[in-house]
Amino acid sequence: MSMRGNDDEKLDALFRAYRDACPDPEASANFMPTLWARIDSRQTFLFSFRRMANAFVTAALALSIALGVYLTIPRSTPGSGTETYVEALADANPLDNPDIVSPAARVDLNTR
Amino acid sequence: MLVDFEVIKRAQNRDSVAFNEIVLAYRKRILGTITRLIARSEDVEDVAQEVFLRLYFSLDQLRTPEVFEPWLYRLTVNAAFDYLRKQRRRLEFRMSDLSEQQVLMADATAGSKVEHEEQTKKKVRESVDSLLGAVSEADRILLLMKEVEGLSLKELEKIYNVNENALKVRLFRARQRVLKAFGAGGKKEGSG
Repeated sequence: MSMRGNDDEKLDALFRAYRDACPDPEASANFMPTLWARIDSRQTFLFSFRRMANAFVTAALALSIALGVYLTIPRSTPGSGTETYVEALADANPLDNPDIVSPAARVDLNTR
Repeated sequence: MLVDFEVIKRAQNRDSVAFNEIVLAYRKRILGTITRLIARSEDVEDVAQEVFLRLYFSLDQLRTPEVFEPWLYRLTVNAAFDYLRKQRRRLEFRMSDLSEQQVLMADATAGSKVEHEEQTKKKVRESVDSLLGAVSEADRILLLMKEVEGLSLKELEKIYNVNENALKVRLFRARQRVLKAFGAGGKKEGSG
């Protein structure tokens, strides 16, 4: 028999010995009460966490609705929201404003 | 199966009496498995409770009662692995123990009644723990489930959710590492 095969058998025997050396132990008297206490504790934690998560979701939802309502209400400033871009541009730069006249025309006026 | 499918179904519906029945039926087996997996008797009950705690909160995810036992074993393996990882209990591979273990193994397997039986068992436990220090926590658990707990490859396949070939390769490699450590101990004894 090879050395490797011999070691294999010895290792198997050692594992069997280990199985016998570690028998199934009996649970202590406190096993079940402690287990249920841990279950209750975890359940309480989960319940609190779920409640907090629900509160957070509700608050986030309320905030979203409030923000939505705020954004849809028309602004009270005159003209805002009703005028077009061209109208707004015209208001900002009236026709009699010399800035909209070309620089060349302005030079001609000065030379006369 | 140590309990009826009906009991498992009741426990899935948060029936505490049914859950108690399951714990009482499997408690001893789970305690034994954990004892061998973590090799630290003072923490065995704590880890076993963690297993049943996880079982309680995950029973509703169990699709069919037929796969209950592999499910429970998977929880056991995971809890033991988490414990070992947390403890970082990588046992040192002590060459001096290996020389002694060959003699102890012969005593333990021969079935002869030695005077200090408890002492011998303790030494066997220490020897195996030393040898398993040559592999990772995950491989230690896999090897013990196969070699000591006696689970078949089919059962391990269900627990680990991997195919048989992958398991075989992993088991082979883990066993080779342990064998190498075992052989090194034997050689040292021969030369010493």
